[in-house]
Amino acid sequence: MNPMIVSFLVLAGLTSASALAMVWTKNLLHAALAMFMCMLGLAGLYVMAYADVMAVAHLLIYVGGVLILILFGIMLTQNPIANVSETQNDLWTKQSGRFWALSISLSIFLGLIVILTRSMSSFSIASGEIQRSSKLTHLGLALLTEYSFAFELAGVFLLIALVGATYIAKHHE
Amino acid sequence: MNDIPLSYFLIVSALLFSLGLGIMLLKRNMIFVLMGIELMLNAANLNLIAFSRQDDQMQGMVFSVFVLVIGVCEMTIALAIILQVYRQFKNIDLGAEKSRF
Repeated sequence: MNPMIVSFLVLAGLTSASALAMVWTKNLLHAALAMFMCMLGLAGLYVMAYADVMAVAHLLIYVGGVLILILFGIMLTQNPIANVSETQNDLWTKQSGRFWALSISLSIFLGLIVILTRSMSSFSIASGEIQRSSKLTHLGLALLTEYSFAFELAGVFLLIALVGATYIAKHHE
Repeated sequence: MNDIPLSYFLIVSALLFSLGLGIMLLKRNMIFVLMGIELMLNAANLNLIAFSRQDDQMQGMVFSVFVLVIGVCEMTIALAIILQVYRQFKNIDLGAEKSRF
């Protein structure tokens, strides 16, 4: 087999298995660990799609930023009296909701697969030439020339969101 | 050196999207629900990047940069709100007896 295909299958298996573990587990910290593995696999998949810039940005933002934020959120929202156990935070999920949730998600997955297999030959965008070079220069040029207004707007939006989050999270008397 | 077919990416992305939706519907902890939303955002991002592989304008990749930024903003605001909910109700379960919404 082709080494590209093999490495893609390994990365896709890592991503899917850790996402399944996120569904399966009831432990919030195990889910955070599974999300870490899932983000690593996704960054590998971005590399497989010749998007090296997005892989690095994804690693920096998700593994370095969002996951740490989630861990802080877990730490700050645990009730120390209710949790008798000291080594893990077990979380109670509604048992009767499992059937409907899993059947809805499974049916959406099967529906997406049916749509994809039926329309696979008619993607007009998928007929172009695959570009295997690094996208760093092109992406930087596009962000600072063609999409410069949206780029600046995203920066201002990020600033507003950070200030707003700090204001919301502070102690209000 | 062969390229990976586009359908492989789309299948992985569909699986990630449905698993994120399943997490959102199944779990009652608010942070768990947020993690499911992040999974769905990343599934959409994988689709955008896989399609932009064959686009010399790279519109999908530029759009995925903005999706990343919006996702981070949503995460910070939602975690701040969850922190305030915890301070108010001492509980972040959705639909539990102790919380009032």
